[in-house]
Amino acid sequence: MNDANPNQPPELPPLKSSATPGSPGGSRPLGEDPRDREAISGPLTAVEAMLRNPRRILYHLRQPGPGHVLFALLLIAVLCSLVYGVVVGTFSGNTKLWATPVKMAVGLVISALICLPSLYIFSCLSGAQARLSEVFGMIAGMLALMTVLLVGFAPVAWVFSQSTESLAAMGALHLAFWLVATYFGIRFLSAGFVHFSGNPTGLRVWVVLFLLVMLQMSTALRPIIGTADTFLPKEKKFFLKHWFEHLDKA
Amino acid sequence: MERVGLQSWLFYVFVIIYGAGLFGASLGSWRAPAQALYTAIKLPLIILLTSLGNGLLNATLAPLLGVNLSLRQSLLAVLMSFTIAAVILGGFSPILYFLIWNTPLLEAGATTNAFSHSLVLLCETGMIAFAGIAANVRLLQLLGELSGSASSARKVLFGWLAGNLLLGGQLAWMLRPFVGSPYLAVEFLRPNAMEGNFFEAVFNHAAKLFSK
Repeated sequence: MNDANPNQPPELPPLKSSATPGSPGGSRPLGEDPRDREAISGPLTAVEAMLRNPRRILYHLRQPGPGHVLFALLLIAVLCSLVYGVVVGTFSGNTKLWATPVKMAVGLVISALICLPSLYIFSCLSGAQARLSEVFGMIAGMLALMTVLLVGFAPVAWVFSQSTESLAAMGALHLAFWLVATYFGIRFLSAGFVHFSGNPTGLRVWVVLFLLVMLQMSTALRPIIGTADTFLPKEKKFFLKHWFEHLDKA
Repeated sequence: MERVGLQSWLFYVFVIIYGAGLFGASLGSWRAPAQALYTAIKLPLIILLTSLGNGLLNATLAPLLGVNLSLRQSLLAVLMSFTIAAVILGGFSPILYFLIWNTPLLEAGATTNAFSHSLVLLCETGMIAFAGIAANVRLLQLLGELSGSASSARKVLFGWLAGNLLLGGQLAWMLRPFVGSPYLAVEFLRPNAMEGNFFEAVFNHAAKLFSK
């Protein structure tokens, strides 16, 4: 005889232990958990590790010869920014379908390269035990995570691109998506910084610099969303001025 | 959730089409029989497109916010919550239809009773809100069981709801009308369906309200 109450929903299967999924933090040393040491064989494994167990990425960046992990992270960042760029480009169509992805991928990589030396210097000053390649790896990881999230936002962005003509509204939407993605990217970077025994104060200053560089890069490579006669702008402009001009037009 | 097979997925989709479709038909019947058919198609369509469109985003956000779910699991969790909402809406649809049947038809020149008009609108909103809240409470319980952390479950639910509001709001804007205006023709989509967006419209209405 079955004593189970027929109105009672079936019991959920036992939970899989996942200490802190998605959160790269935790006080345990990297590599202590066997899951940290699982190999990263390619970009897809890197994406999975980035989302589910970011400590695995940090552990592999600390090992000798982290080139393949670095390559995988950069490849993810470039491919995902190209994909999101195509979606951004659908707002204006035509040449923007190739120009916007190119600008986004190039802008992202150049911004990271511009900010790499300062992050390395800040990490040294704050006492972090990280080599340049590890710092580069953390930035690559941050970019990869940001762009993976942007690809997640892509269907929403596409729906809005097809149904609005307001450049300001689309700009605000993409900016909001970018800020959310950047928040998670910086969270990954901060956790990596803590694992490398760094004082987070230096990182906070660097984050402000990085945000400013990225925002200015979007203005330096404009138009990203709208249209223009030339691939790059003829006039130099600060990003806030550029925004206010568009808001006035709207 | 790993044991859920194709049959269950199809069943959830069927329940959404059936439940939300019935509610949509009741909603549209206020304007005209054709509008009832259109809304019966559009309401489930919005639910399914929102689940699919946000699938990747939800699967990305869940592990980042502390609930280790795969793409399949997060899609299933959202679909199950929408299924609960659809079941509730389907259950409410005879009541809504009865209410609308007792209300003057929404057509140009008809004698409109302001009280019954407001009552129908209020009831529709209340039913949708109740279904949404009940479904999300169950989703929160599921996320809590899966993660073992109430805080992570709340964060994931908030992230998913924000995404659903963004995409669902815009899809609903594009697929309008659902009830229909007595002064406009009954149609599946408005001619300007692909113009403007839901949030711009809300902003413009709010701006008008405060500028007076």
